[in-house]
Amino acid sequence: MARNDISGLFGKSPINPLQQHMKQVHLCLKEFGNFAKAAAKQDWEKAESIRQSISKKEHKADELKKKLRMNLPSTFMMPFSRRDLLDVLLIQDSIANITKDLAGLMMTRHMVLPVEVSQTFQDLIAVCVKTSAAALEAINELDELLETAFSHRERKVVDDIIGKINGFEHESDGVQHQIRDALFALESNTPPVDMMFYYRAVEWLGETADAAQKVGSRLEVMLAK
Amino acid sequence: MDIITQNHEILIMLAIGFGLFMAWGVGANDVANAMGTSVGSGAITVKQAIIIAIIFEFAGAVLAGGEVTATVRKGILDASIFVDSPHLLVYGMLAALLSAGFWLLIASSVGWPVSTTHSIVGAIVGFGAVGVGIDAVAWGKVGTIVASWVISPLLAGTLAVFIFKSLQKRIISTETPLENAKRYLPFYVFIVGFVIALVTLLKGLKHVESLKHLGKDLPTSMMIAVIVGIIASIIAAVIVRRIKTNPEDDADFQYANMEKLFGGLMVVTACSMAFAHGSNDVANAIGPLAAVYSIVESGGDIASKSVLPSWILLVGGGGIVFGLATFGFKVMRTIGKGITELTPSRGFAAELAAATTVVLASYTGLPVSTTQVLVGAVLGVGIARGLASLNLRVINRIFLSWIVTLPAGAVMAIVFFYALKGLFGA
Repeated sequence: MARNDISGLFGKSPINPLQQHMKQVHLCLKEFGNFAKAAAKQDWEKAESIRQSISKKEHKADELKKKLRMNLPSTFMMPFSRRDLLDVLLIQDSIANITKDLAGLMMTRHMVLPVEVSQTFQDLIAVCVKTSAAALEAINELDELLETAFSHRERKVVDDIIGKINGFEHESDGVQHQIRDALFALESNTPPVDMMFYYRAVEWLGETADAAQKVGSRLEVMLAK
Repeated sequence: MDIITQNHEILIMLAIGFGLFMAWGVGANDVANAMGTSVGSGAITVKQAIIIAIIFEFAGAVLAGGEVTATVRKGILDASIFVDSPHLLVYGMLAALLSAGFWLLIASSVGWPVSTTHSIVGAIVGFGAVGVGIDAVAWGKVGTIVASWVISPLLAGTLAVFIFKSLQKRIISTETPLENAKRYLPFYVFIVGFVIALVTLLKGLKHVESLKHLGKDLPTSMMIAVIVGIIASIIAAVIVRRIKTNPEDDADFQYANMEKLFGGLMVVTACSMAFAHGSNDVANAIGPLAAVYSIVESGGDIASKSVLPSWILLVGGGGIVFGLATFGFKVMRTIGKGITELTPSRGFAAELAAATTVVLASYTGLPVSTTQVLVGAVLGVGIARGLASLNLRVINRIFLSWIVTLPAGAVMAIVFFYALKGLFGA
């Protein structure tokens, strides 16, 4: 007996795959913390093995992204717009991409940040990880949101998390400023090319927090259908 | 007239055989769709679903199926055309049964979308219009039936939106969903029990000789319906209270226990679905059989008012049970596996909406498609943002089933009609 029955009506929920993807992305960023520590100690062997692991996780996130996209034909009726969902997915994915590129950049250049900013850089990583963790928390609320059919009560919970994300992102901006100020003071005594890439590392790292914040705000749009 | 009296026995035998065949098809395919949602949400096992189906399909057919049976039996065609040639009506009904049965068999083995209702209506209209004459078809009634195919899923969808929104407001998105589920769910069951009982009393029972008097006056019917509703809600309350909830289950997903309560009530909704399906779809097999029987038994009297003998219902019920036992349980299992995304609370809303709609259709004597009504109800829950993803391509399949099933049933019925005519004589 073939599929001439009512079960053809039910598509696979995109929510769990989206959560899995965000989890994977968050793991990438979290692992970057370890990478940066190893790099700061100039333990390049360890750093390389962590970089490979990050790369593997990024690849896995990519696979999850592709699979989710494939299972999302335009004939699906979902409680949110398909466009918004795909946007959230792409923004999530950018976190993993940036992290992978950043680890790659630091690895090839054997980049060690000047001792004056070394600690602040670690702080920035911590703030970015915190921001993405909050974004993951928000995405993980999606099953509860669906179960309550996006009730106001549950949306309030998500709004609170999104508020938290925004706060963290703001915090990350502050830390970035500190690093830039410190780097600026070092400019005259540092090789310009190194300097350029220090700035770039800080910029990319900051972008992960931005992306995590965008995940939150896109999610808000997605829920407010 | 001679044809009928001469071939009295063989015609009855054929009618029983074809009726069984058709009922088998209904049991093998259609019932599984009606019950699959309950199985899919994990609330009841396939075995339980079959037991429920056997009891309540039967009850639905016997207690509330009379009105639709009457429509299929003599509503679609204009009986006055056949007064001088009752044997043509006998051939036609036999052909319709055979054609619908075959179509179910072919379509479900190939995987085309089927609806028993559409195939039998298509078949009867087909042989009537082509085999006898355009005037033989009661086009007004056919128009109403076709309209009901559009309206019934829409109605079920609307009802589902309301039921689900109300569940959301009263239970799901409150501070204490678990307590509220225990408090309010029996009330929902009461309403459904009341509606089904009232409809059955007012319209269904008049076709059951020994229970006819019960539906005669409104106050008594209301009283009985209230009592049935109360009994149903007490059963629901007991079920809900006996379910063991475990607060630890809610650590990961805070609605796990609430869903468990809804799951317990899926037994009740499955019963109402089976009853509704029995009250409407069983008539597809019984109606033509009853038509043949009454004409043949009265020696060709079209207007014969003879009541349905109970063995005809047994043929319908027996055929369905046989269909369930041979194929239906497999289909049910497959369908159940296919719809695990439907959680009990959603299944509850969709099934209540669908069952109520189908029973109301039975009340008006309109043969509708239970599957399509259920699809409408599920889409309603989807519109209320209750489901993660629904494949709207199914709607195309429904249209396809319209476009394919109606003419297929008709063409086959015409062929069988002429074959029978050649066999027994015009």
